[in-house]
Amino acid sequence: MLKTEGKNWIAGFRNKWIALYFAQIFVLSIALAFISITIIAVFVFFSFQIWHLILAFILVFALFMVFKPTWKIGKTDVAKYLNSKFIQLEESAELFLKPKAELSLLEQFQAEKIEERFPIEKSLNEAWKKLLFCLAFLVITLIGVYLMEKYYWYEQISEVRFPLSNEKNSTKEVILPEIENFQLLITPPDYTSKTVRSQHQFTIKAEAGAQVSWNIEMNIRVKKLRIIFNDKEIVAMVNAGGLNWKYSKAIVQSGFYQIEFDGKKSDLYQIEMIPDLPVSIKIIQPKPHTTIDIGQLPKVNLTVSLHDDYGIADTYISATMASGKGEGVSFTEKKLSFNEGFKNKKDVNLSKLLDLKLLGMKPGDELYFFVNAMDNHGQSSRSDVYLVSIVDTAELMSMAGIANGVDLVPEYFRSQRQIIIDTEKLLKEQSTLSVDEFKNRSNNLGMDQKLLRLRYGKFLGEESETEIGGDHDHEEGGKPAEQKFGDVQALMDEYAHKHDIAEDATFFEPEMKMQLKAVLNEMWSSELRLRTYKTQEALPFEYKALRLLKDLQQKSRAYVAKTTIKTTRLKQEKRLSGELDKITEPSQKATFEQLDKSTDDLKILLAILERRKDGYAFNYGDREFLKIGEGQLILAAASQPTSYLSALKSLRKVGTANKLVIKDIDVVQKAIQKLLGIESSQPQAERVNPATGLYRSYFNHLKKMGK
Amino acid sequence: MEFNLIIILVCSSFAGFLIFKEFKRNDKSKLIWRLVASVLMVACFALIIIPISYLVKKQEPAGVLNLLTAGTALDTIATIKETKYDLDSTLFPIRKNQKINHLADLAYYLKEHPTVKRINIYGYGLGENELKTLKDKQVSFHPSNVPSGVISASWQKKLKATESLKVEGVYYNGTKATVKLKLYGMGTSLDSVSVKPHAEFNFSFVNQPKQVGKAVFNLIALEGNDTLSVEPVPFEVELKQPIHILILASFPDFEYKFLKKWLYENQYAVALRSQISKNKYSTDFLNMKAVNVNQLNQSLLKKMDLVIIDEDELAAIPAADRASIYNAVDNGMGLIVRVTNPKPESSTSNFHQYEVPSAIEKPLSLRSSDQLKFSNLSFKQTIFLKPGVNNQALITDETGKIVVNSRLSGMGKILTSTFSSTYQWQLAGKQYDYSSFWSLLFAKSLRKKIESQSFTLVPQFPSVDEKTRLMLNLANGKIPNISIDSVKINPRQNMEIPSEWDGLYWSKNFGWKRLSINQKTENVYFYKKSDWKSAKSFVKLQHTANFVANNSFKATDGVEIEYLAKESMSKWWFFIGFLLTISFLWYEQRFLAKN
Repeated sequence: MLKTEGKNWIAGFRNKWIALYFAQIFVLSIALAFISITIIAVFVFFSFQIWHLILAFILVFALFMVFKPTWKIGKTDVAKYLNSKFIQLEESAELFLKPKAELSLLEQFQAEKIEERFPIEKSLNEAWKKLLFCLAFLVITLIGVYLMEKYYWYEQISEVRFPLSNEKNSTKEVILPEIENFQLLITPPDYTSKTVRSQHQFTIKAEAGAQVSWNIEMNIRVKKLRIIFNDKEIVAMVNAGGLNWKYSKAIVQSGFYQIEFDGKKSDLYQIEMIPDLPVSIKIIQPKPHTTIDIGQLPKVNLTVSLHDDYGIADTYISATMASGKGEGVSFTEKKLSFNEGFKNKKDVNLSKLLDLKLLGMKPGDELYFFVNAMDNHGQSSRSDVYLVSIVDTAELMSMAGIANGVDLVPEYFRSQRQIIIDTEKLLKEQSTLSVDEFKNRSNNLGMDQKLLRLRYGKFLGEESETEIGGDHDHEEGGKPAEQKFGDVQALMDEYAHKHDIAEDATFFEPEMKMQLKAVLNEMWSSELRLRTYKTQEALPFEYKALRLLKDLQQKSRAYVAKTTIKTTRLKQEKRLSGELDKITEPSQKATFEQLDKSTDDLKILLAILERRKDGYAFNYGDREFLKIGEGQLILAAASQPTSYLSALKSLRKVGTANKLVIKDIDVVQKAIQKLLGIESSQPQAERVNPATGLYRSYFNHLKKMGK
Repeated sequence: MEFNLIIILVCSSFAGFLIFKEFKRNDKSKLIWRLVASVLMVACFALIIIPISYLVKKQEPAGVLNLLTAGTALDTIATIKETKYDLDSTLFPIRKNQKINHLADLAYYLKEHPTVKRINIYGYGLGENELKTLKDKQVSFHPSNVPSGVISASWQKKLKATESLKVEGVYYNGTKATVKLKLYGMGTSLDSVSVKPHAEFNFSFVNQPKQVGKAVFNLIALEGNDTLSVEPVPFEVELKQPIHILILASFPDFEYKFLKKWLYENQYAVALRSQISKNKYSTDFLNMKAVNVNQLNQSLLKKMDLVIIDEDELAAIPAADRASIYNAVDNGMGLIVRVTNPKPESSTSNFHQYEVPSAIEKPLSLRSSDQLKFSNLSFKQTIFLKPGVNNQALITDETGKIVVNSRLSGMGKILTSTFSSTYQWQLAGKQYDYSSFWSLLFAKSLRKKIESQSFTLVPQFPSVDEKTRLMLNLANGKIPNISIDSVKINPRQNMEIPSEWDGLYWSKNFGWKRLSINQKTENVYFYKKSDWKSAKSFVKLQHTANFVANNSFKATDGVEIEYLAKESMSKWWFFIGFLLTISFLWYEQRFLAKN
């Protein structure tokens, strides 16, 4: 009979043990749930709700149940445990669990002996101790969470996670005392590829399209919490349980806002939008107009530098080739891409070699191209149009422009052309000529070139003999006769010794002179090569000189065709002699109504503020002007908060405060002056001192004296 | 005196106590010595605290007064051996060492001491009123250096609407550092300039104030971050005054069209008459009532401030009309004649124009006589005006050829302009140039607004607690009713010019005050005593120097006179006595006394 006591005790012990265990894990789960919630809150920001905690608790509790299933402990386990813990049981606890019949005699004795020692005192001490530990842990956790919530929650947790972007420009803000805590979460739009950030400041500086959410915790219960944007758009914040309020809005324009509850308004806070600018394209190479002269490689190296504030998505070159002449011009468009990935990079330097031959361009064709770039927000921008042209030598040699119509300086053209033809001919015949003969002919060509240059030099007012070679053209004047064919001026020159003529010097515009100078330069270079027998090298310079001359010719060809209109002579005596009695005299009357009086009002407000500086209080009329000024500043601040918001704040302060703060007035005056802008002057009569007869007679006397 | 008494009482009781102690002392061998030493010690101690002075006889050349005024350098004071006087006891706070006597009133003192014949003035000198009392004295002036700061400044006290405020003056920088001078007003720094060390600089700040009404700007001198001085620049901007303009056009053109529009939008009253046929006119009345402008008579022109007419029209109108226009000009009206023909229309209306055929296409750049530059116009000006004897060129081109000329005719002015394409500025979007061009022409020619009264305040910077003289100029000869902030001022008429009146006023506080003259209110500003200090000193310096230069009075050198002067004894003597007696007492007690 006695034996059942031990058995019962063991069963009781087991039950108690399990119950205590449940109590332990219950307490521990609560603590762990708090900790895990806090840890999650540190890494992923969300607003706390009570069911979050319950869920976490259930989860932790379930985990305990699964990984440490203590309720599965059997009586044998308990007996083993007891044996190991209590010596007085003499390793015999199992004996009580065995059916009585199975016990040997010795075992029976042992059981009876042990039975007396039941119930064991303080057997559950360890379990209680554990429970106590768990409770202590819970208390510590709760205290920790409370402290964290109080001092750490909005400020640091979120800031560690989302660094404050606006830290630098954080200004001291006046925050309503009723606001216990607040936090702004700015989610920049995708294209910026910026992460979410939070701030403990009401002034917002956000990218265009960014989502801003306000979380405000009040310390008193309010019926309604509202946000007023730009002093006109009022939105109600959503109550997120208890004292917490929420609102979220996408920022699409700059402006300002204030928070209002129960008729109490906060300070004004600024919203500054950072706009996304399109890609800026800078073409470093080539120049806007590039001409590829004969002898140059028909290749253009294009170097572009691109910059965007968030990232460049795509860039390509749009090239248009124009070929043909007159009505037969044909255009072909091509889209050339840079063989490079952009990967939303902010700054890219690209270069590409445009092989004009590969593009299918022939001499005389022109290539227009521009660079188009798109940023990751889908805004595209393009560069200026650049022009590359290949000089057509055949066109230069043609007589088309010269054969018909006005031609100011035809003979010179023929000369330059002749020199080119002769040079090419000489080069062709080089193999058949002796070296001396070749050199001689090359030198002769050089002389011809010099003569031509000197003649052009005259237009620039250069004395014909200032250049190297001295008096040569007088001696050799007769030689290049075939080039001067039909040159009346040259014929006349033989009979008259002409020096620099002043009129010649001023005959051309400066721009034309510049071009002439460039021609002379080319001629110089050509002459130098011809005279040093580098005939092949002279050819590009000759061509360039010809091209420039041709341009000159085109320029000077602007003229208006003569028309034949004959007008009949007016009969002077008949003029103004018609009958006019039926003609009525028109008369108009108008009075200018100035609709916008704001400028005048602001001007008066300036003087009112100036008066306030002297310590005079505002009177009723002054307040009207203050109101008008406030309206103007609200409008201005809505579009440019950075410039005008502080002035608006100061104006409100000035209007309500009893104490005079000159600094605030200065801020307002500065902003109003900025609003007024520059004024153009208006005529005003001079003032003179009271006139008496004395002045009058003095001035009239003066008149008589003058006559 | 009470303090001295207390000292004497304390000291004598202490001496009594010491004597008592001496008698009580056992060792009476040196009693007398000790008694004498104790009493002497206490006496010396008392005399260290109480100053002791005595009268001495002194001799000085008769009738010399050394007068120290503000700005006297301290080392200069030290070099003056004779007695010195000042008129302002606050000037030299350490005067006790320097022994400077204070004169409460110079005029009173001079009356009291008729022997004073020669006066040496040190420092910046005296004001005009004080100098007047020195007329029959021989005055020599030992001026201090020119004060560092704004030594002279002037600006318009009253601006017309849209007129620019011009603050001009001279800054003398006597320091070793560069000084930055800036005009500050309405919360913004409007203009600034830097002045090199040891240099005089003529500054000129120009700013168009935005307000209508009173304002006080500041002229601030800065050395690095230190503010050297802040001088107030009070002024007032008036409201726009109505103007009546009559335009007579021989034919409508762009110039008139744009001018009409511009005047209309600026709310000026304009009557425009342009001929459409013989004796047939088209008329426009803008911002004004319709009047008959077919006949130009005196009563019509009396209302007009300005007539703008072109040369053709001037030749075409009847002689009577022309005569009345010229007559009206003589009475003050303005006349602008637009010269458009290269040759004079007739001998009667010759405006001395000439033509310069120009082959070169060059942008026309104009400038006014007061160096106002206008934006260039790509327009060829070929007609110019010859300079005349009684003419003033208003606007010239780059080479100095006259485009707008003006001359006086009686009370009025006749302007001639050969420039007929000002609208090009408007077309080019240069509204500012257009406005300033016509504003200049109008300002020079408009009938002057004759005021019923005008006033000036003397001195230039009327300050608190200073005599301010208000000078009035009135149109009528009646006694004016003047008051400043409801303090009545009694006027005094000028004996020679009956229209001039003056009155005296002492301001108690600084700032704006309302001056009312015959129910008409004006604003006047009174400065603080510390404002414009350098300028005031500089004025005194000049006044005194001028006075001395013009004062020919020579006093004969007088004989020396004797007089009693107070001299105080040096405290060192007493200190030495104190030290000696106390050391004797100590020595006696320590080494000589018998135990």
